[in-house]
Amino acid sequence: MPTPKVPQIIKDDLWKNNPVTVQILGICSTLAVTNIFLNTMIMGLGLIFVTSFSALTISLIRRIIPERVRMMVQVLVISSFVVIVDISLKSTVPEISRALGPYVGLIITNCIIMGRMEAFASNQPPGLSFLDGLMSGVGYAWILLVIAFFRELLGFGTVLGRQVMDPLMRAVGVSEGWTQWSFMIMAPGGFFMLAAFIWIANNLSVSRVRHLK
Amino acid sequence: MNKGLYTVYFMVAVSIVFFAALSVMNELTRPQIRENQEVQRLQSILYAADILPEGIKEIDWPAATTNDFPWDREWMRRIKETRFREIRLPLDFIEKKSLDDRMTELGDTLNIIAVLDEEGRLEGYGFPIHGKGLWGTISAFVVLDRNLQAMIGIDFTEQMETPGLGARITENGFKYFFRGLDLSGFTKSMNYPIQMVREKRASNREISTREIQSITGATQTCNGVLSMLNTNLDFYIRFIEAHEQEIETIVLGAH
Repeated sequence: MPTPKVPQIIKDDLWKNNPVTVQILGICSTLAVTNIFLNTMIMGLGLIFVTSFSALTISLIRRIIPERVRMMVQVLVISSFVVIVDISLKSTVPEISRALGPYVGLIITNCIIMGRMEAFASNQPPGLSFLDGLMSGVGYAWILLVIAFFRELLGFGTVLGRQVMDPLMRAVGVSEGWTQWSFMIMAPGGFFMLAAFIWIANNLSVSRVRHLK
Repeated sequence: MNKGLYTVYFMVAVSIVFFAALSVMNELTRPQIRENQEVQRLQSILYAADILPEGIKEIDWPAATTNDFPWDREWMRRIKETRFREIRLPLDFIEKKSLDDRMTELGDTLNIIAVLDEEGRLEGYGFPIHGKGLWGTISAFVVLDRNLQAMIGIDFTEQMETPGLGARITENGFKYFFRGLDLSGFTKSMNYPIQMVREKRASNREISTREIQSITGATQTCNGVLSMLNTNLDFYIRFIEAHEQEIETIVLGAH
């Protein structure tokens, strides 16, 4: 298998072959955690850690993994790193661990991670695999953060928990202040935001075809 | 080596390596996690008992949760030693059966916390309660006044509700309406001793009623909370009334 170059890996994972907008992977967590920006940030950091170190580990042992148990080994490695993230959160930032609840454990089921293990880490050297895992995680995280920013802003009127829309509305003369878009906080809000984002991303990245008259 | 045998050895070896790494990490972090859980538990009890850090008015922090207050660990430990008495009371068979039906803790004894005032007099009773929310179990810690006629406070210790909607039960703005909640409906054996309304004009501190305010968009979570309170408090109020003498004897004896 040809070895991709570093700039190509970065460009692909962040935009051209983004896991969320192009590969349509990791959608469950995209919808579940993106109504609060801070939760999304922690989730994103957790996924970056798990994906990058899982990719590194799988790549390091790729030549000795028996073919039959390839996926079992990948799941074992991924879940071990997820447990490390979970324990680390519980011991260092227990409030955030509580806020995220079951979503941290669900990182194991995120198809981006297994996808990158199979598609890249199983066949590429450790350095590049770590970079690919890192960039895939960042590619996932930045999409979620953009969605979370708008969902929290429109749904609660806040940015990182600080009320901004209410004072802004009052400043521009709206006496009632900001009316929360409850729809944005609920699951359908996540669906629509994600769909809009995918549509925008595809329109910006797909080459235009000129129709000749 | 035979391929099949190699696969088995490999899996065993990889499993041992990762399980060992996780075990070590678990052991290293266990004391810190335990301390965090104990601190969290203590914060919940203090909040429910309406014992807040000095200068803090919770009405100024409506969107905040219990963790957001500037708790001092030393101060919390001192309060725990001087104002709380943990009492373990035996459960008879009928009481245990009734408790199991309410999805609360299982066991042969029930732990109640006697809350004392600054002079050491019994001020109230605290205990954990559990119920079903929209997505999973909701757990809370409740403190009632010594006459069992009003609630001093509540703190939600565990919940898996939707962030921004049902999860808002942990916010001070929601919990504030439980302070001073009239519990006389339990002694009068009403069908719905506590009720939930869309909007309350005054808090229960100002005018004590049997009503609490719901959260817009979190109907099912609020219904779960209401059901949890109505079923659990019914049991606990009767239980404490039946063991009141015993509790007072233990508290006076310890003091």
